[in-house]
Amino acid sequence: MKVSKNWLKELVDLNISDDELVRLLPLRTIGIKEVTPDFIELDMKGYNRADLLSLRGVAFEVVAITQSKLKFEEKDTAEFIWVDKSLNEVGVNVEDEDLAPIYCIAKIEGLKVEPSDNNWVKKLSDSGIRSINNVADVTNLVMVEYGQPLHAFDASAVEGEKIVVRTAKEGEELETLDGKKRKFSNTDLLITDPKKVLGIAGIMGGKNSEVSDSTTTILLEAAIFNPKNLRKTATRLGLNSEASKRFYHGLTKKKLYQALDGAIRMYESLGGKLTGLTIEGDLEEQERKIPLGLPKIHSLVGVNLDKDQVETYLTKLGFKLEKQATQEGKPGWVVTPPYFRLDVDIEEDLIEEVARMYGYENINARPLEGVLPEKIDQKFFQTLYNLKVKLAGLGLTEVQTYPYYSTKVLRSLGFLEEDNLKHLVKIQNPISQETEYLRMDLWPNLLEAADKNLRQNIKDVAVFEMGKVFIVQEGDKPKEEYRLAILISDGTENTVLQILQIFKGLKLDVEIKQEKPQGIGKLLFHPTKAISLSKDGQIIGVIAEIHPRIADNFGVGKRVGILEFVIKL
Amino acid sequence: MQEKISEIKVKFLKEIEDAGSLKKIDEIFLELFGKNGVITELPKHFKGVSKEELKEVGPLFNKTKQELEEKIRVKRQEVKEESYKEIEKESFDINAKVELPKRSGHLHPLTQFEQQIVELFRSIGFQQFESPEIDDEYNNFEALNIPEGHPARDMWDTLYIEGKGERKEGNLLLRTHTTNFQNRAMKKFKPPIRLVNIGRCFRYENLDARHEHTFDQFDLIYIDKEVSMANLQYLSEYLLKQVFGPEIKVRMRPKYYPFVEPGAGVDGLCLFCKGKGCKVCGGIGWLELAGAGMVHPFVLKMAGLDPYKYSGLAWGFGPARMVMLQNQIEDIRLLMSGDLKFLQKF
Repeated sequence: MKVSKNWLKELVDLNISDDELVRLLPLRTIGIKEVTPDFIELDMKGYNRADLLSLRGVAFEVVAITQSKLKFEEKDTAEFIWVDKSLNEVGVNVEDEDLAPIYCIAKIEGLKVEPSDNNWVKKLSDSGIRSINNVADVTNLVMVEYGQPLHAFDASAVEGEKIVVRTAKEGEELETLDGKKRKFSNTDLLITDPKKVLGIAGIMGGKNSEVSDSTTTILLEAAIFNPKNLRKTATRLGLNSEASKRFYHGLTKKKLYQALDGAIRMYESLGGKLTGLTIEGDLEEQERKIPLGLPKIHSLVGVNLDKDQVETYLTKLGFKLEKQATQEGKPGWVVTPPYFRLDVDIEEDLIEEVARMYGYENINARPLEGVLPEKIDQKFFQTLYNLKVKLAGLGLTEVQTYPYYSTKVLRSLGFLEEDNLKHLVKIQNPISQETEYLRMDLWPNLLEAADKNLRQNIKDVAVFEMGKVFIVQEGDKPKEEYRLAILISDGTENTVLQILQIFKGLKLDVEIKQEKPQGIGKLLFHPTKAISLSKDGQIIGVIAEIHPRIADNFGVGKRVGILEFVIKL
Repeated sequence: MQEKISEIKVKFLKEIEDAGSLKKIDEIFLELFGKNGVITELPKHFKGVSKEELKEVGPLFNKTKQELEEKIRVKRQEVKEESYKEIEKESFDINAKVELPKRSGHLHPLTQFEQQIVELFRSIGFQQFESPEIDDEYNNFEALNIPEGHPARDMWDTLYIEGKGERKEGNLLLRTHTTNFQNRAMKKFKPPIRLVNIGRCFRYENLDARHEHTFDQFDLIYIDKEVSMANLQYLSEYLLKQVFGPEIKVRMRPKYYPFVEPGAGVDGLCLFCKGKGCKVCGGIGWLELAGAGMVHPFVLKMAGLDPYKYSGLAWGFGPARMVMLQNQIEDIRLLMSGDLKFLQKF
């Protein structure tokens, strides 16, 4: 969310400097992504503060944390512009109220499409939005200020000026405002007229009903759509817009009416006239009443705040408190959050509000108390670390490689044939071909790393890696195994013998078995220099020279010895 | 000209055929395609050739060049395959003694750092616990108060495992955080619980000097009666002072994670500018080093713990970032590069 500094000051009589605000916001409210002379960008990634997706919401917050004064008042139901006006109904049919609990259309006539004035253009550009024309800009300005997305349809493009809100029929299509053709599936919610699709609910309008130079009458839409359904559609179409983001963070009926009222007033300032209004559906917005106890604040924050502090902090943030002792008879309240704070549901949420107003940075450290937990077996972790230390002691360097087989590794192992790929765990949505398959052995990635080092003119590669590999299991979740792999390629002929020597030096509870490795690995190893490792009668690994053909595939012309086995206690 | 090309072709095809070693093949290759090689030089003589004739000569030359290249490739393979037959005769005496060359070994910087952390926390009663790298949506998301369709899922760009059918625990995925141990750990042990989990995590992320798609994470939980944010501040100071020296300042600030409430970001005063603001800290004066918070009551309930009786804290960070700050490593990708020149500095 880009907060325009100038615009914010139209809403707040800010009593501190911009720099001070930039310092304070992360301490009290939310992290900051970027600051420029024009805007402060809040880091909203993953955040749950729907209210901060509107400038008015940001204004309330800034007032609470800075002791500044608010410069606007929210309009009451009785003050809305449509009250006591006789207006025509606009034809609206919402087929599924669960998907569109509130749907309003206002008809505004007598508009003239022109470029917006500089003030509007600047407000939008500070907010990261491009100005289009005065009529379209109103919808974006209102969205940024109130957090409620709006959409304006050119009324002359809407068949019979009748809107039908319904789910898509299989195969339906629309060219959206960005010029792309979108195909729909039957869970997508569409805005249509009796003959055609006009827009994707809450995501983007269609080209066919876009406001153009000749537009004089618009149908202005303000709605609340089901966020889950909308998110599904947006994700599938890869279309996350400024509007859709606000829908799935959550909207309120109160804000919707304020925004609609604000937009109509702006259209009237452009010479337009409200001639029709339809409001379909309703949304019961129950006030939440959340119990809050002083002892819980003390125990969770670890600071003995007094009652007055709690009341002051919450009141500043617009929460209403009524004194009510806790079940244990301790001081407490029943707290009602402001209607726009959809993120506050439980006592812990309130405690966070109190704690941040107090200032997390003012909480002093307190050592952990209480009894220590029972000892649990840590032998496995110690074994892993001790083994690493021993290997380093024997002159090996620890390497960590990616858990994927790169295309080079796949090709070099001869794994590109479908038959072999089926042995590998596959990623459904890989970042690239290089990260599509998970490794089933460690040594191929060590060999790939060895090649890179040998090319850098390093003569002696003696490395190990400890990490997990992933084994396909028919009809079950893939198995993860901790493995150790060692690789030596130092230009000598006796790399395997060196590894054998190192292996013996480790004095592990693992036996050498004069048995050739089986399975898909066997063609990858030297025909005579390969043996198995076993533990408790089970084969758990291999010591081998890599077949020179395979090493050559990797680009390595020297002898390569490897060891790899499953680490088990 | 055509004749000359044909002559070259016949002569060298035979020479390649007769070559018996890779060395000989390399010599022929140079003779043909080297700086002054026969094929390299040939087009210089096309000047005198008429336009008409060039229509024939050009394609013939290209064809011959390709044929020779292909022949060399095939022959090289043949010679190699021949030598591979030889290795079948090599004997392998597993009891043969060899002298191990003197080498100096090195532990990976992440291993060294993580062990230091594990030991630091062990000394205040935290033990290690491990969770799987391939996990399900239940443990990675749902049990942590991140239901399907929750906007917070955008914080973790997830890699999914292909086609393992419908499962009660949701789709399989590569864990996006080591926090996936919380539900398991809280079900397995009764409070007081002090556990750490350290290991690899995976995200759908494009690589650059500051972003990895495969990275380590450190996570801890502490569940007991009367656990507080003051304890969080203590743990943050405890760790960061040990890692970066006693003079480091540590502060918490509000941050949202769905599995904690209240949630906190943990900053350390920038080590490089001491708070003045510099390139490393993006002019802020503080570096974000960890994420933390009080375990969300929903998360406690999902693990069968009574949030009225117990509270807990969760605290975690990415070791790579700290290792990079400690050692002034500029590019995160070096850690997974396998580059020995880099790794042998540690």
